[in-house]
Amino acid sequence: MAKYDIAISGGGPGGAYAARTAAELGLKTVFFERGRKSGEKNASGCGLGQRWWRDFPFIMDEIVELDSYREIHFCYFKITDADDRLVTTISTAKTPKDDRRIRHKEHGYGMTGTSIYRSDLDPLLANLACNAGAELRTSTLITDVIKDKGRVRGLVTEKGEKIEADVVIGADGAHSLVAIASGIRKRWNKDQITLVPQLDFSCNEQRMDDVIGPAEMVWFGPYCGAYQVNFRDGFHLGLGQWLDKWDTHPLDMVKRILKIPAFQAMCRAVDAELREYQVHLLPWMPHPGKTFSDGVILVGDAGGFPCPLEGEGIWHACLTGQMAAETAAEAISAGDVSEKALSAYERKWKESPVGREYEYGQEYVNLWKNSAFDPEFMKKMVLFLGEVQSLNFPSPVFDWSDDHMKTFNDHLGHLLDLLPELSDFANQNIVPLGKGISTENRERIGAMISGSIKKKLPRIIPDRVIRSLVGRFLGLP
Amino acid sequence: MDLKNVKGGDFTGVSLLKLTFKVEGADPGEFITYDQSRCNGCGACALVCSANLWAVKDKARLSPRYQELCLECAACYAVCEADAIAFRYPGGGAGIIIKHG
Repeated sequence: MAKYDIAISGGGPGGAYAARTAAELGLKTVFFERGRKSGEKNASGCGLGQRWWRDFPFIMDEIVELDSYREIHFCYFKITDADDRLVTTISTAKTPKDDRRIRHKEHGYGMTGTSIYRSDLDPLLANLACNAGAELRTSTLITDVIKDKGRVRGLVTEKGEKIEADVVIGADGAHSLVAIASGIRKRWNKDQITLVPQLDFSCNEQRMDDVIGPAEMVWFGPYCGAYQVNFRDGFHLGLGQWLDKWDTHPLDMVKRILKIPAFQAMCRAVDAELREYQVHLLPWMPHPGKTFSDGVILVGDAGGFPCPLEGEGIWHACLTGQMAAETAAEAISAGDVSEKALSAYERKWKESPVGREYEYGQEYVNLWKNSAFDPEFMKKMVLFLGEVQSLNFPSPVFDWSDDHMKTFNDHLGHLLDLLPELSDFANQNIVPLGKGISTENRERIGAMISGSIKKKLPRIIPDRVIRSLVGRFLGLP
Repeated sequence: MDLKNVKGGDFTGVSLLKLTFKVEGADPGEFITYDQSRCNGCGACALVCSANLWAVKDKARLSPRYQELCLECAACYAVCEADAIAFRYPGGGAGIIIKHG
């Protein structure tokens, strides 16, 4: 029987980063990948957030050299109506302040995210682990854990080979065998996990640079929201929904986006061709569940770590992998790998930037359940955004098919009708998030928004009405 | 301009399920185990299965071709409240290949 200090199930980002950390700490480490190489079984968005430049700059220096890399500075939200017409495009902005926040080699990366295919990223991370001295065993499925008196003591491969280890790390994704076989948890509840169908398209690189540039996109329609992650010469189109909410076939949801004329026009402009269909499960919950037990630790998706705000999970997988390996190393050197000793892992991630992601986890999950994942809300939101756009001087986009003054008043009337409803939504879902913002800052934001609306609607709505409406949105007295 | 007359961009008629890749010649093993006696016929597995591997009439039935068609998401297992479906992934080095994930 092979004996290791640490045995890791999973060769994705969490497993690879745990393996790298453990090997660097001098531990005899093995990690198992069921694919023929890392990344062969993985699908995700896949965008890496700006924090990668802060926390893993040495990896980013290699990622930017990978074949599928595209630098990302902003995001377009393409708003479409019930008839699949493009209503408006909203874009995130770039501020000089954000560029000063994260710096690497004299450049500002506060607004710079990264798109990279998993088939490029995962082998790079696995190589880091192997170069540090960890052993990678590919084409090997882990089907059980070795358990002795309630304690996990190793992994069992599909061929029945037993791999004994002082500490086992479960980095085996959303459907984690280690989590379930070791008894840490049962499978996720249906309201804790989302099903994500996704299409991959090949594109002409030059045209993507010219037409889309350094941007991600979101298709925001009355029935759902879909993300478009843009790579060097291809893109992902995907969407998700909690398993307890699916009421239609996953393929039919994806096909609704394919029918949007503006989407088809974009495809023509970048020479897009359909290349691959993928589907995966993504845990999306207010906060992770239990992440350790006697002799075993869970990291990444296996532990339920993806961010409850936008579902990013690779950063969380790498950092929890690192903390798991550090905790395991301390426990092994102290000669105690019991549940009590390994509880240091939970303390570590809760106090780290990963732990701060779940401070408003329940509020974020509620926000999504009641907005982008709720078709009824999306219908109202699209109408609202259309009305706002129609009043967006000096570029009014009006339906002038009736008397002009009547039409103008209709638009304004619609907007005012929608505001109280959206205000209720804001009270329920936005105001709780505002708990993290000081009253002073909320007042500053309120003054900013009121000022901006006032400029766009001169003398139409009285100042105090604008201030009071904005105040209600922000939960100000 | 009638956008419908412009070539390209319209993917109607493309069979999305054909856009998947498998390791040739590797045996995935029996990675989905279905216990029909536990099935309550709710149909959740058929609703969430992208690959259309489940048919439900009183009870669910798993396609005999599931080993070559399954996309390995495990959603059927995750939604089955009757605990009739077990899912463990195909054997190492077999099953689906995700080329651009």
